[in-house]
Amino acid sequence: MNIITIANRENSKYEVKGRKPLLDELRDQGVDLPYGCKYGGCITCAAKLLEGEVDQRAQVALNNRQINDGYVILCVARAKTDATFEIGVESHDKLYRNPFKDPLQPHELKADIAVPKDY
Amino acid sequence: MECCGPGYSSPADAMKAPREKLLYTIAIYTGTGIQKPDYLATVDVDPKSLTYSQVIHRLEMPGIGDELHHMGWNACSSCHGDSSMVRKYLLLPGVRSNNIHIIDTASDPSAPRLHKVIDGADIKSKANLSGPHTVHCLGSEIIISFLGDAKGEAPGGYLHLDKDFEIIGRWENSMGNIKFGYDFWYQPRHNVMVSSEWAAPNTFMPGFDLEEVGHLKYGRELHFWDFEKREPIETMYLGEDGLIPLEVKFHHDPDSTHGFCGAALSSNVIHWWKDDVGKWQWEKIIDVENEAHPEWPIPVPGVMSAILVSMDDKYLYLNNWLHGDMRQYDISDPHNPKLTGQVWMGGLLGKAPIVNGIAMAGGPQMFQLSLDGKRLYVTTSLFSTWDNQFYPEIRERGGVMVMIDCDPVNGGMKINKDFLVNFGEEPNGPSRCHEARYPGGDCTSDIWL
Repeated sequence: MNIITIANRENSKYEVKGRKPLLDELRDQGVDLPYGCKYGGCITCAAKLLEGEVDQRAQVALNNRQINDGYVILCVARAKTDATFEIGVESHDKLYRNPFKDPLQPHELKADIAVPKDY
Repeated sequence: MECCGPGYSSPADAMKAPREKLLYTIAIYTGTGIQKPDYLATVDVDPKSLTYSQVIHRLEMPGIGDELHHMGWNACSSCHGDSSMVRKYLLLPGVRSNNIHIIDTASDPSAPRLHKVIDGADIKSKANLSGPHTVHCLGSEIIISFLGDAKGEAPGGYLHLDKDFEIIGRWENSMGNIKFGYDFWYQPRHNVMVSSEWAAPNTFMPGFDLEEVGHLKYGRELHFWDFEKREPIETMYLGEDGLIPLEVKFHHDPDSTHGFCGAALSSNVIHWWKDDVGKWQWEKIIDVENEAHPEWPIPVPGVMSAILVSMDDKYLYLNNWLHGDMRQYDISDPHNPKLTGQVWMGGLLGKAPIVNGIAMAGGPQMFQLSLDGKRLYVTTSLFSTWDNQFYPEIRERGGVMVMIDCDPVNGGMKINKDFLVNFGEEPNGPSRCHEARYPGGDCTSDIWL
């Protein structure tokens, strides 16, 4: 059992058991969250992790920059500790980027094609 | 052939159809921050009507998060000889949810109603497909291209539905060496289908990482199929000239072998045809140069995400979503297109930030031409995550639908001053309109056997 705090919903708190992904556990408790594909591939449900740890190994949507900026794909992620999130589009300030304005470095690509920084 | 099936006996006959009075466009809330279902909007396009240029009906989908995108009819002119068929149902796939919504547009054309939903999970379990895109009817049956397998990995394949919208299974017998899927069009008199390539759903759904193009995560090939055998037989490697080949259109003339594809990232039009000895050939016929942006390190491509061929096969229309222009080319000689019209609406280059008094967010993206070739309806949103990357202000402003008056005799395009549908003012907040269809068939659906 972990406690999830939603920072941009007046620090409301929810208990999660870890049996289902965070999206389902939070929606079951009445948190209104966006979602799309429900298998970790489409980014619609991304939230920003401010504190704590999650297991989101099943996601395939985020590049390493987005992961380093704290983004979590709620439809497949489970909490490993108590955690604090910012949710919804208010949390998406760094999620989207114009690639012609702001290119990624080789280590910031998605995990399957990223080149380690010190390589 | 005198008959009573749907559609028209020929493209020339289609051009004589009565003027469209209604059109349907999908509008999305997925990815906008507004927790409402995507919907099918009915737009009044009858200038004599009191509600001209307004949304007059909204049909919400049953769930949220579908990301409605392209649409297709249950029947088109390919069933003109079949009196048992009616063009009654519009199919609305959800790219993210995988659900296929079947909409009855005939019982009350101005207020379409939900007929049936094919559950996305059912499609995954029965056909191992996700990420639906293009819908075409094949005589009385339907095929839909899907860009991924159930896990969102390429190349996906084709879902085959019967006329009652029951899943038959996979349509194709083989995907051959095809790496990616996207759009397709078939020309039955030549037993050919051509398909193009976007990327795996897991690649394009989260947004566009330009860097992934160099890692071969996006397509650059066209595929020619033996339509009857349902298998690809020839691949054209387009290379740098054909990065991200998206929309595929054959001539409407069913005897023609000429067809076109817009390569979105290269912003080129690729033309193909069968030569005198029966071999498929291709060439690049239009090349839109990238534009430097004063503050950005990488030049901006046009992003030619759609093309359309007029019903008389005389004009090709294309968009440059990031530059902000719509163009009309005379393709009477398909090897030598001539630019005959161009208008600007939105875009990143600042050429037309305001259209008919509305501040634009986005650029010209999807468009549908009237059957007579005189009115081009253009919308501004591409795909929620890509919109959010390039045009973040679209969240507050929503999408718009603009009408361009086209001169089908002498060429030329002009934005109509009396028409604009502002989806920024929708009752549930700013939504984004995308593909449009007319009840009587349109320039991107009908195929002749």
